[in-house]
Amino acid sequence: MGSDLLAVPFPKMVLSLAQAIAKGQLALDQASLNTLKVLSRTKFDYIPEITEVLTPRPFTAHGVEVTGVDVDAVASPPLSMTLLQAGIVPTFYQFTESVIEVKMSISSKTESHSEFEFGIETEASAGFLFASGSVSSHVNFKTANTYSYSAEGSSLLRTTLRPTPPPSRMMPRFITVNALVQPPTVTFSE
Amino acid sequence: MPFRMWFIAQAGDVTDGSLRELCTAIREQGGVILMNTRTGPLVALDDDVAPAVEQHPLVAHMGPVALNPRGVAADRLQRIFAENISRQVDFAALEDVGSA
Repeated sequence: MGSDLLAVPFPKMVLSLAQAIAKGQLALDQASLNTLKVLSRTKFDYIPEITEVLTPRPFTAHGVEVTGVDVDAVASPPLSMTLLQAGIVPTFYQFTESVIEVKMSISSKTESHSEFEFGIETEASAGFLFASGSVSSHVNFKTANTYSYSAEGSSLLRTTLRPTPPPSRMMPRFITVNALVQPPTVTFSE
Repeated sequence: MPFRMWFIAQAGDVTDGSLRELCTAIREQGGVILMNTRTGPLVALDDDVAPAVEQHPLVAHMGPVALNPRGVAADRLQRIFAENISRQVDFAALEDVGSA
């Protein structure tokens, strides 16, 4: 039984699982990076401000003067910005946990069957001048041994995939230079 | 499975017609359109149907995305998403489901 357990190719299974995870992680990261590239190229017009100027405009309704107001809305010029700048970020995934579960079922059965038979036959006869006798015996012995052995195994590989924040090295850093003030100010944001 | 936000880069030229065709396919799968861009739509989809949408001939690239609340226009985007969802979700049907 010990030799069967030792025969389970654990190192190979672990290696295969690790390689599969690495391959999967690479594909996931590449897909997320592609999304990042697309997001950084997709622009939309962002209107940061709409100024509403309220001015009084009283008017007369059915002879009654009521307070009125004029709303003059002025939108600031649209600002072209990428979706990434705006706040849409790609989701990155990470394999957080991996489990290899090996189940083995080993059964062995030994059956022994023996038969023993012993017999004696005697025969005697006597006459006037002579007498004779014979003794015969037999021994039968049968034995049968059956031995059966079976080993069944199953393995289960389970991994957990979780979304993670984008790696800081993969995400661009936004540097904003505000030239509206003197001297211009520089701010950094992720 | 949870609803997730996906960005879809459309294959070929993005025209009103092609965008409408893609958005219809997404709506048929139970997804909602959060916003349309010149590259393609930003949608909310169930994870289960995402592979089916990815197979659509008008989809060039599709990837899960999230909204960074610290983004420059995150608040504005959130408002746009909310407005667009309100136009697509049948709230009466949701109430029926809730009361059942």
